[in-house]
Amino acid sequence: MTILHNPALATPEKQQISLGFLPLLDCAPLVIAKEKGFFSEQGLDVSLSREGSWASIRDKVILGLLDGAQMLAGIPLASSLGLGSPKVPMVTAFNIGLNGNAITLSNPVLEEISTLTDQPVHSAEGLALLIQQRKENKAPKLTMASVYPYSAHNYLLRYWLSAAGIDPDNNLNLTVLPPTQMAQVMKKGQIDGYCAGEPWNLIAREMGVGSAVISGYEIWNNCPDKVFAVTRSWHDAHPASHQALLCALIQAAAWLDQPQHHEEALDLLLKPEYLGPALSILPREQLSLRTTCFFRYAASYPWRSHALWFLYQMQQSGQLNQQIDLKQVACQVYRPDIYREVAHAMRFPHPAIDCKPEGFHSQEWVLQGSGGAVTMGSDLFFNGATFDPNVC
Amino acid sequence: MNAAPHIQERVLVIDKDAARSALLEQALNDQGYEVVCRLDDTEGLINRVEQIKPDIIIIELDSPDRDVLEHMATLNTHIPRPVVMLAESGDSNTIQQAIQAGVSAYVVDGMSPDRIQSIMDVAAARFREFQALRNELDNVRNELEDHKQLDQAKRLIMKHQNCGEEQAYQAMRKMAMDQGKPMTQIAKNIISVLQMLD
Repeated sequence: MTILHNPALATPEKQQISLGFLPLLDCAPLVIAKEKGFFSEQGLDVSLSREGSWASIRDKVILGLLDGAQMLAGIPLASSLGLGSPKVPMVTAFNIGLNGNAITLSNPVLEEISTLTDQPVHSAEGLALLIQQRKENKAPKLTMASVYPYSAHNYLLRYWLSAAGIDPDNNLNLTVLPPTQMAQVMKKGQIDGYCAGEPWNLIAREMGVGSAVISGYEIWNNCPDKVFAVTRSWHDAHPASHQALLCALIQAAAWLDQPQHHEEALDLLLKPEYLGPALSILPREQLSLRTTCFFRYAASYPWRSHALWFLYQMQQSGQLNQQIDLKQVACQVYRPDIYREVAHAMRFPHPAIDCKPEGFHSQEWVLQGSGGAVTMGSDLFFNGATFDPNVC
Repeated sequence: MNAAPHIQERVLVIDKDAARSALLEQALNDQGYEVVCRLDDTEGLINRVEQIKPDIIIIELDSPDRDVLEHMATLNTHIPRPVVMLAESGDSNTIQQAIQAGVSAYVVDGMSPDRIQSIMDVAAARFREFQALRNELDNVRNELEDHKQLDQAKRLIMKHQNCGEEQAYQAMRKMAMDQGKPMTQIAKNIISVLQMLD
């Protein structure tokens, strides 16, 4: 596929740009765009700022201390709705990646489940039996963690539990922990399971405290996870800078999609200013960029149907109680129109539509896009459910 | 003493740096605030916040534990909420300055903006002061290290050239001037070369 490196787009209004990231493997497009010179090819002088928490990223973007950042997909939506933050409208025109998460259960819980059922553990039905047994024995509720309230991790975990008839709000305690602490806290017996991105599931196995029972991919094939977002007012003031950033990020995503680049990408990611210290506990050969899909299957495209799925999960989990028009919010925050302008200028095939139904494709399929056909990935849910964005 | 009735806010300070949080506690006490607890170990954070029931939590901006507090703030109870929530109504300048100093806070509903501002100002000032002290300490440490290296390089020259201290020093100075490099860099180069010969 040919991608034009320097499409004829307007000159960036602002060249000095500061972007925030968290030391996770999927900050890769930002790091690669900087290290491989894709940002500078676009006339941008980008500095990357490593942050300690999603809250810190959100605060700094809201207050203008960062121009933009890697964010959990739920954050620009929550921020635009004023959930957990002042109501600051944000926009995203770039999805950072698909997949990469998993659910880990502790060894004691896995052992107890194995005495109750022969069912494979990737379904939460065994866990449901254990919860029932503990209730009868008046044992304390199990506790499970995700990484942030408005995260794919939280919603995937709730979705997986609910599918087995477990009420995530009443049958167990759901909490939040930084991914770096998950395995350690599990070792102390304070949590019984968690949903986090890699390598934080590998670490539990490495430490001998638990095992991954199902990957995010298995729960929902090619589910979105993080985005690159800016405030709407930043976008309105710097539309050309935003386009230039997107060009560089798309190039980085396409570069990362090629397995022969993974070793070089890991070398760059492990530099001390990026992931270095955060991942030093794991042997290098255990780290892989393969679990995340960065470009193929239109991975970087900001589907409004993905936004709707997140908004729907916010409603289901009681985070979003106001009666609002979800479609309108999805349209304001997720901006495939901006992505398409950039993709058109860079001359590569991309989707021409904003939404797609989920849960209908068990294998690759072809979408007729702008500039040519786009190969799409499977999109099944593990329980055979479907999600039709038109019914929201 | 002011005899007017005064509502004491319960302040919880969460900071891995025990020295800095001690300094902050002192400063807040001096201003008439009560620090009910300082945490440098955040294990079981949620339970501890529920027990302590603080009105305001001061926490380092970069702490990964902030995301745990964000989760608490979504629960429908009397739990402190992120101070950035006030940015749209209150003085966002105070909040911005605090964040630039590395301070963030969580406050319960109904706490007066003046009090929040004043506590955050005290915290931001202490964080900045502490950072300045830390930078100064780093500088002193570096100077000491530089001094050690200059001395070592000088002694290596004296040994290899069989010359006096003054001569060795002048040789290094000349080299620094000729090469347009700082003395410390010259000292490092000399050490790496002459140690090979030892």
